[in-house]
Amino acid sequence: MSANATPPGWAEVLLRAFLTPGDSESVSGDLLEQYRESVRPARGRRRADIWYVTQALGFVWRNARLWAALFAVAFIARTALDWLVPPADFHARATVSTVLGAGIVLLAGFWTASRSGSLAAGPVIGVATAVLAAPMEVMGALTLLAGWHDPITMAAIRGSGGLEEVLALPVLMVLPGLVLGTIGGSLGAAVKRLRSA
Amino acid sequence: MAELLGFFEQAVLLAIVRLGEGAYGRAILNEVQERMERDVAAGAVHATLVRLERKSLITSTLGPGTPVRGGRARRFYRLQPKGLRVLNDARAAVDNLWHGLKWPLKGYA
Repeated sequence: MSANATPPGWAEVLLRAFLTPGDSESVSGDLLEQYRESVRPARGRRRADIWYVTQALGFVWRNARLWAALFAVAFIARTALDWLVPPADFHARATVSTVLGAGIVLLAGFWTASRSGSLAAGPVIGVATAVLAAPMEVMGALTLLAGWHDPITMAAIRGSGGLEEVLALPVLMVLPGLVLGTIGGSLGAAVKRLRSA
Repeated sequence: MAELLGFFEQAVLLAIVRLGEGAYGRAILNEVQERMERDVAAGAVHATLVRLERKSLITSTLGPGTPVRGGRARRFYRLQPKGLRVLNDARAAVDNLWHGLKWPLKGYA
């Protein structure tokens, strides 16, 4: 019965989104073989599916963590500048940091999809980058707050949009992450196809 | 100076040595898990294999699939002379560190 068992299809799409065409068959085959011969007979369907999903998410984590760290550093640097060196007009700084953040997610989508050729790579890496960056950004902001909470800094925080904005923005970045990742990923997958043609 | 190998890289290279002709992804994963006596993520093994191949310590070739794999190809790995040399260096380095000490250590703490 386990010989024909299939793991969740969406998890396999996730997995293949991060593998080069050369590795896609062999790695997904390794996991399918392990799933059918070892994990499913020993753990049953539900736990075997959880095992497979965990393995697929491991590939997402390994590919998205660097982009997430870059994104979080950009966010924390902008927050630190706004709090410690507040400008008279936030417009120019906001433009630069928005372009930088968007560029990181676009590049993440482009890079990942140009390796795998998968259209799923862009949206997945975009969302994963935003989701993984969110706790880093919140921790970074709270660390800044722990170090600098004098009246002048607190006034600067209020002037830059308030603490609520800094803590909510990381969560709100998931949707733009999806959109930008999809755009970058579509371009990357197109480049991959052009190269292969 | 000898090229430094991480602990996990050594585990993967030694799995390839032990498995010989049968060193493909899943077999390496299981061998590493057995030797390290813990669950290991397939992604960690895959990332390490890619890194070792990039360093020219191993090479890989695709082999035929099997029905249980849905017919998907297996990627077989082979140790290269540079890999063998680096593994021997790694073992020599550990032996040097332990030289003159009786194992297991007793009475030092």
